[in-house]
Amino acid sequence: MMKRGVSLYSYQQEQFFKRMDFRDMVKEVHNLGCDGIEIIDESLIRQYPNPSEEFVSRFKDTLAEFGMRAVTMDVNMDPLLYRDHVMTHKECADRLIQDIKLGARLGFQNLRLCGVPIDAMELALPAAEDYNVRIGKEIHVPFTIRPNPEQADKHSFMPSQPYLCQEVIELAERKSTRHVGVIPDMGIFQHRISGSRFAYLVRHGANPGALRAADRLYARGLRQDALVSALRERGYPEQDAVTSAQATAFRSDVDPRDLLEIVPYILSIHGKFYEMTEIPGAEGQYEELSIDYDAPFYYLHKGGYEGYINSEYEGQRDAQDRDLEHLADEVEQVRWHHEMVGRLINTYWHA
Amino acid sequence: MFDKWLIRGDSLENVERDGTVAGFRFACRIADYRGCILSLHNGYYIEVDGTVYPREVQRFQVNGKPPRSFEEIKTCISEHWDFDDEGIVYVEAPGGLGPGVHRVGFQQSILSSYGYMPTDEEWIRNPPVPGQGAGAGKTEQICYYELELQKETAKL
Repeated sequence: MMKRGVSLYSYQQEQFFKRMDFRDMVKEVHNLGCDGIEIIDESLIRQYPNPSEEFVSRFKDTLAEFGMRAVTMDVNMDPLLYRDHVMTHKECADRLIQDIKLGARLGFQNLRLCGVPIDAMELALPAAEDYNVRIGKEIHVPFTIRPNPEQADKHSFMPSQPYLCQEVIELAERKSTRHVGVIPDMGIFQHRISGSRFAYLVRHGANPGALRAADRLYARGLRQDALVSALRERGYPEQDAVTSAQATAFRSDVDPRDLLEIVPYILSIHGKFYEMTEIPGAEGQYEELSIDYDAPFYYLHKGGYEGYINSEYEGQRDAQDRDLEHLADEVEQVRWHHEMVGRLINTYWHA
Repeated sequence: MFDKWLIRGDSLENVERDGTVAGFRFACRIADYRGCILSLHNGYYIEVDGTVYPREVQRFQVNGKPPRSFEEIKTCISEHWDFDDEGIVYVEAPGGLGPGVHRVGFQQSILSSYGYMPTDEEWIRNPPVPGQGAGAGKTEQICYYELELQKETAKL
């Protein structure tokens, strides 16, 4: 059965305002009736990458206190770190090895990597095997499961990695190892403007009708310039057409069926979501209207996935233009997400 | 992200050195969801009542150490600025700021990323000047704050 957990990234705003500390977060996740914990290393580990023994003990004791498991630690790779030269791939591998050791120290099963090149991953693989910490590249928007170079190059803030999945699978097969894999982010199944983003854009002057029209046209296959033109043709002013088309740009358009090919390589999953809302007519049941969870869960079950899905709430940012009393409620949003995820797990894994 | 809360509202104060007011300081947080290796920290766009104070007159204090210039910060490859911690930005400005409320424009520059980027070589040779959005993480625009100068003057 797929297992539930939470990335403490979901509580980043509570952490920023010092309303929840690590123990509060772990306790809250425990109270969701699950045992998976994921962290961003540089958000929680004091004096990364060399926390004190006291920190490590407290970290492990807190997880033990609530019977929780350290599932995945999200690590980064900053190529400009040395400031006098761009980090070489060997240096990148060395940093990854350091992260593998740190992950092992804290008891993590997996590391989530972002832009680590595949050759650096290969250099670090012996350490991953020695320390029994699996290393997985995240499949995050704009990336896809099947190669899609045009898609991968569309966004300027991520390094281009159109063959990410193929490279990882090829490495895993060539080395006959279970210690490399992928970590899909549910955001690759986003199909409309999220509720939190929609509200943000409208507060800042966007035309709700144009945003809804952009979603409908997107669903019919229109993209970028063609989408702007279609909105113009429907009589929306230039600014509304451009803003609304841009709001649809951050997508991967992955077909959920593609998951079937990669299930054996999935280390864990990021349960990305932006806004949970109550399903009309179904009190106490919630849905994420902008991301397809249903079909991906169907294919994950069909493919035999038994690992964790860890909630990753990201909609809080969209409300940070508002006053303190109107900020999003991260705790409530994650609870609602777990209602949905738990229900879908029951639907498919218990059927 | 956290745009309205990056500078602590009650932290703007003048700084005195050797008996004279040499500038001002304020406390800030990381404009992202994670901390950073200190060397990546590339300075600030700081504007007070229309006057811009470039990186060269800024120093940064964190981890209980004295304020350091961004040339020195650049070499701190094994020190971390933790997400939970405030840093103190010092600005050299003889005479400091006058009493009352000041309009402060602020953008942080931290050269962290999600991996190798086309700008890497250029940013090693010519680190971006803060304020253009480069390294601004999840806060791409300059944020403005109305801050009252505290009555106390900090002694350095």
